[in-house]
Amino acid sequence: MKRILLMGNPNVGKSVFFNRLTGVNVITSNYAGTTVDYTKGYMCLEGEDVELVDVPGTFSLEAKDKAEEVAVKMLDEYNDSVVICVLDASKIERGLYLALEIIEKGHPVVIALNMWDDTMVKNIEVDVAKLASILGVPAVSTVAITGEGLKELVSSIGDASSATIEDIIGRVS
Amino acid sequence: MEKKLSEMDFDEEGTVKEIAEDFRVQIAGMGIRKGKKVKMTTRQPMNGPVVIEIGSANTSVGYALADKVIVDVGD
Repeated sequence: MKRILLMGNPNVGKSVFFNRLTGVNVITSNYAGTTVDYTKGYMCLEGEDVELVDVPGTFSLEAKDKAEEVAVKMLDEYNDSVVICVLDASKIERGLYLALEIIEKGHPVVIALNMWDDTMVKNIEVDVAKLASILGVPAVSTVAITGEGLKELVSSIGDASSATIEDIIGRVS
Repeated sequence: MEKKLSEMDFDEEGTVKEIAEDFRVQIAGMGIRKGKKVKMTTRQPMNGPVVIEIGSANTSVGYALADKVIVDVGD
């Protein structure tokens, strides 16, 4: 069965996505580190059953605690799975660090720029199309709690692609 | 002037100048890297954690870690 991993920094909304996509009700809260172990669920994607894994939040792939260890181990274990990399769009710099590390590992990635409503409140502008073209992977703006952008995110899973860091560096400079 | 992150005054701003080798990788993912602008928001008493604003995000770092980050705070 195809497997999709939900990854990102702590407290960016991975579990909200998980609940919305699978219908499984895992606990979500506005605290970093709500998810310390992973949860599996199933969803239907283009007529095919796929497994969705809610991975604990991590800042980087160099694990500092138990929850992060779980995250890193999962990524290594499921090395052929697509990764939905959830970023807090208002703290994009920090999320991109992890996103680039995941891309570097060679996984096909889709970027979800979550908490998009927050960027408007905080007056932060993010050029989603440009980000996608620089990274060479699909990027979608989302508001997980209201479901905004969820459809676009799901339909972009099929377009998930892997990129190389060298290419990304080439496109930045 | 250079200061440790743990010695900064409230609301004082500066630029990260140096991070102790053994912590560098560990905190890079939290957005704390050389050359980044940082502002100290809160510091807890008795060598408690230091809350900083970096890259539009609030992050709290343990005292032991904040003690190993050197910040250039201007003059």
